[in-house]
Amino acid sequence: MFNFANNIAFMRSVSIAIAAILLVAACGKSKKPDEQAFLNSLDSAKKGPTIDEEVINSILQQIPSPLEISVLLKESGTKYNFSLLNTPDNLPKYNSNYKKALNLGVYGTDLGYTNIYQQNKDGIKYLSSIKSLANELNIGQFFDIETIGRLATNSKNLDSLLLITTENFNSINHYLQTQGRANLSVLLLTGGWLEAMQITCQVAAKDPKNKELREKIGEQKIILEQIVLLFGFYKEDENMASLLNDLNELKAAFDKINITYTYKESTMEVVNGVAVIKDNSTTTIDITDKDVQAITGITNTIRTKIAS
Amino acid sequence: MKKVILSIFSISLIAFSTPLASQCNSENFANACIPKLGSGFNFLKSYKVDSEGGAKEKVEYSYVFTKGTQYMINLCASGSATDGIIVTIFDSGRNKVATSKINGQFISAIAYPCNATGIYYIQYTFDGAGGKCGGSALGFKR
Repeated sequence: MFNFANNIAFMRSVSIAIAAILLVAACGKSKKPDEQAFLNSLDSAKKGPTIDEEVINSILQQIPSPLEISVLLKESGTKYNFSLLNTPDNLPKYNSNYKKALNLGVYGTDLGYTNIYQQNKDGIKYLSSIKSLANELNIGQFFDIETIGRLATNSKNLDSLLLITTENFNSINHYLQTQGRANLSVLLLTGGWLEAMQITCQVAAKDPKNKELREKIGEQKIILEQIVLLFGFYKEDENMASLLNDLNELKAAFDKINITYTYKESTMEVVNGVAVIKDNSTTTIDITDKDVQAITGITNTIRTKIAS
Repeated sequence: MKKVILSIFSISLIAFSTPLASQCNSENFANACIPKLGSGFNFLKSYKVDSEGGAKEKVEYSYVFTKGTQYMINLCASGSATDGIIVTIFDSGRNKVATSKINGQFISAIAYPCNATGIYYIQYTFDGAGGKCGGSALGFKR
């Protein structure tokens, strides 16, 4: 009996065969210009010989969003300060893909900072630079500048603006990782992290008694350890090896900080269909003024190298 | 000739738009979870959760949670709310910190005010027979 299900199965087989023929035909043709441009654009950060992409991707996904720090700064009453950011006018300085990827991350953090503070005029300047860098790295298709630009003109759209910006950066990172170009993703996330570090350190320098900010700096030790681990996969790349040296210097300053973790079982209750956890574990972060100064100095030096 | 081309096009459309029983579009579930994050939470990540027809016992991701920040992780699946998918958070020492299965009840969201900065594992496991397909989103607020 040739029933409907069989009919669908038959049609599926036929269409898959047709699709396969079309695919083979398409593969036989020469590469599209944009695909070729993408391949050509990867001048820096060659693939390592035996890089385990799965391990790299699993570390990459741990790196927290710089947006968390911007929210902390705003919630703690810190005033908006454009001079802390890397000016979007620096764009023409970024000629290599190494610099482009790093500063795409830097500008991403700066955009998040302007968004959180609802400084839309500044945000739009960053949008333009971000779009240029993303286009030059052939990942511009993931950055929806029209929608973001439209949302940025109205302060009521903050939630949507933050959402779409985060989604776009997540898509870029995911794409780079699935294309076997996780090195660019490492640079993008490192640039973003360093910019957030730099902003936090500058704010903390003006407010040295702010315990929360000092702790925030101290706990970045955990993230830097992961970043250094990632750079270890790309030692053969000259640019990344050089940045790794700088990051190791920063790590040495962080190594003086003690983070003590104490686990205590959590308690949970269900409130309005949500499992609300009471976290009874704690961390204490021992960080001195001298540690903060050392970290601030090294961070500033690295960030200047990246942005200039 | 036109009829032949039209027929092939129509057949292709029907065939590709009819999902196989075992297909899992976890990305759709993950995206559907984003707007379901609680009020005031900023979106951070979306996660695909696919047991690959029962071949996988767990799906795991990791993230650095920071002290003083409240996180929310939710679950989306077809059918009943979580379709037997459980999300559990472990600290870096693999101590259990939170779970969405409480007293045998499957909860579709966890609110986790973090009190200790560190690397945490977000693990999805599957309760019951058969393949499980879903998605999840992570958000934060101060």
